Order: sequence, then structure tokens, then C-alpha cells
Amino acid sequence: MPTAFVTVGSTKFTPLIKAVVFDDCLKALKRAGYDTLVVQCGNSDVEPGKWSAQGVSVDVWRFAPSIQSFVETAGLVISHAGSGTILDVLRAGKPLIAVPNTSLMDNHQAELANALSKQGYLTASTPETLPQVIAAFSPNHLAPFPAFDGSKFLNIVDEEMGYM
Amino acid sequence: MVISLLSLLLLLVLIVIPVRAYAILLPNRPKPRTGPSKLAVFLGSGGHTSESLQLLRALPFTRYYPRLYITSSLDTLSIQKATSLESSLAPSLPPHAQQHTFLVLPRARRVHQPFWATPPTAIWSLVVAVWELSIRPALRGQACSDLLLLNGPGTCVPLLAAVYTSKFLALPAPRTIYVESFARVSSLSLSAKLVRPFVDRFVVQWPQAMGKGRGECRGWLV
Repeated sequence: MPTAFVTVGSTKFTPLIKAVVFDDCLKALKRAGYDTLVVQCGNSDVEPGKWSAQGVSVDVWRFAPSIQSFVETAGLVISHAGSGTILDVLRAGKPLIAVPNTSLMDNHQAELANALSKQGYLTASTPETLPQVIAAFSPNHLAPFPAFDGSKFLNIVDEEMGYM
Repeated sequence: MVISLLSLLLLLVLIVIPVRAYAILLPNRPKPRTGPSKLAVFLGSGGHTSESLQLLRALPFTRYYPRLYITSSLDTLSIQKATSLESSLAPSLPPHAQQHTFLVLPRARRVHQPFWATPPTAIWSLVVAVWELSIRPALRGQACSDLLLLNGPGTCVPLLAAVYTSKFLALPAPRTIYVESFARVSSLSLSAKLVRPFVDRFVVQWPQAMGKGRGECRGWLV
């Protein structure tokens, strides 16, 4: 059962959640080979629950102590464009469609999603274009995300503290 | 009596303050060091906390200890995340390098707090920060830490103000590093703009975010 996982962290992102459980998106997911959709909806204005539509079984819930295992078992992740979530998903090596939440104040999600999309690490979308983006999405065209390299920061700190 | 008090005050204003201000604004180069460094890190909640803890993974805890985790009130998730980082690394560390403590500060500004209501909460946050990070450690004859690591948001401003209080009073003060969030691609956050002239090291993770002014970019750090 190939699974798509949707996550918005602790935020409220109702337009994304509503779009992703809508028939157009479910059809596109089914056509792309996903028959299970797990949705972590956070504080969005939607009713959590389980149902089936368009040949996809949908499971919507608010929070889990850790989403790590859901990311790891998913074939595709669709998330808000928070930097923490993006880093977690890309470091887990999962194909990612990031949707900036444009309703946030002092918002830089679109900037980050677009910059990373330009470098080929993820695909950026809006809630409205999600069905088309899912239909056109090909994980094989994404660039592998560089692993964490602590040496640059360690050098900065060691210099600053007088260890070199 | 009044005249002598006034002249004392005048002396303070004309000599002591400019001398101290001059002393703390002089370039302050790192001195070579061999022993361990006490590390304080501010966990600014959400993505800020994730980034700060990821940065900490780059540092050998056998050299950077004890560690002081500073959080804002109501942010228990950051304490959980720091605790889980510490316990995951503890088995590989000698007991002295496992030492860590937590300090909870009042928030400078809550999410959605109107801007007009910010000054009183920010001042209270500043008072507590100065007491906990500057005055109280000084009464024990030490600095709160050797290094203070900041990644935003708002509460890192009172923290830096506490460091400058120590410097002004000629008390031991930590060196400071501000790392701008990975999320800031082409412009700086308000916190970053405020602390930029005052931290010892100012680091951004995207070259376009640097703009004009001091600082450095060595690419992604998290």
C-alpha cells in the first residue's frame, strides 16, 4: 500500500488540508500509484477522521509525538514549507512537494520553497495547483539533498573560542 | 552634600560611562584556549529549536560543556527535544561532559501579541535575562557561559542585552555567535538586524541574505 503523507507541523494550514483530501488530488494520487493518504493536519480547521474516496483510503489526525516513522514509510511527502519540516523530509531522502503557507505573518516559506525548488531538491506548489503538480511530479528528477556537514559550523565556533 | 553627590554623578556620566562604552566596543579578539568551554544556547521554539540543536550536533560535547539550554516560557517541546538530544549522546560521553541545565525565560513577545503590547513583556524578559545571565553568575564569580549561541527569534535580543550589561559592568561575559535561520534566503529577520552590530560573530546560511554589513556566509550549516 504505497502511502502519501501530508504534514503541517504545529501550524494551521486549512487550504492545504482541504485541497489534499479533495477528489481532484485523490484522483491524481491514485493515478500516481498511491492508495493510502495519511494527513497530519495540526491546528487546521478540518474534522479528523478516516474514510475512502476515489480508491484512496484517507486517515486525517492532528498530532503524533513524532512524525519520523510516517515520513520514513511514505513514498511521497506533501508538507508546509517550514524549514524544520523541509530539512527532516529531505534528510530522510523522501520526495517532497512543499506548499508555502502564505497566510502566516512575516512569512518566508515561499522564498525557501522556491530557492530549494530552483536547486532541484523539491517541488513547490500551491494548494490550488496541487492536483496538477502531483500528476506531473517525478521523484527521479529531484537532486539528492546534501547530508549534514557539521565541520563548517565547528570551524566557526572553534575559531571564535580560540581553539585554533 | 548635594554638590558632592552631583559631582559624583557628573564624574560617572562624563568619565565612567564613556570609558566603559569604549572598552566594550573595542574589537575583542579570541584568546587561545585549551580547556573546555561552557556553552549556552537559546532554543527559540519550532524551527529555531530544531536548527539550534542541529548546530549543537556539530560540536564535540567533550569540549563544549557544561551546556545551558535557555528556553522561553510555555515552550516545553524545546526542553523535550534538548533532553532527547542529551540522552541520545550521553552513553558516548564521560560523566563530566554530560552536564547540562535548563533556564526558562519569560517571552519577549508572544506569537500574535500586538506590537503596542510588546514593550512591557520585553522589559520583563530583559530584567530576568540580566539577573539570570549577568548578575547571578557574577555573584558566584563566573560568567553564565563562555559562549552564547543564538538563532532567533525575539527573546535573543534581551539575552544579548544581558551580555552587554555584564560587559559594561566589567563582569565576565560570554562570546556570542548569531546564526541566521536556514529559512531566511534573501533577507534578514528583525532579530538578526537588531543583534548584527553587537554579536562577536554574525553568520547567515544563504549568501543573498547577507546584504550590506558585517558578517559571513559559509553556506548551509544545519
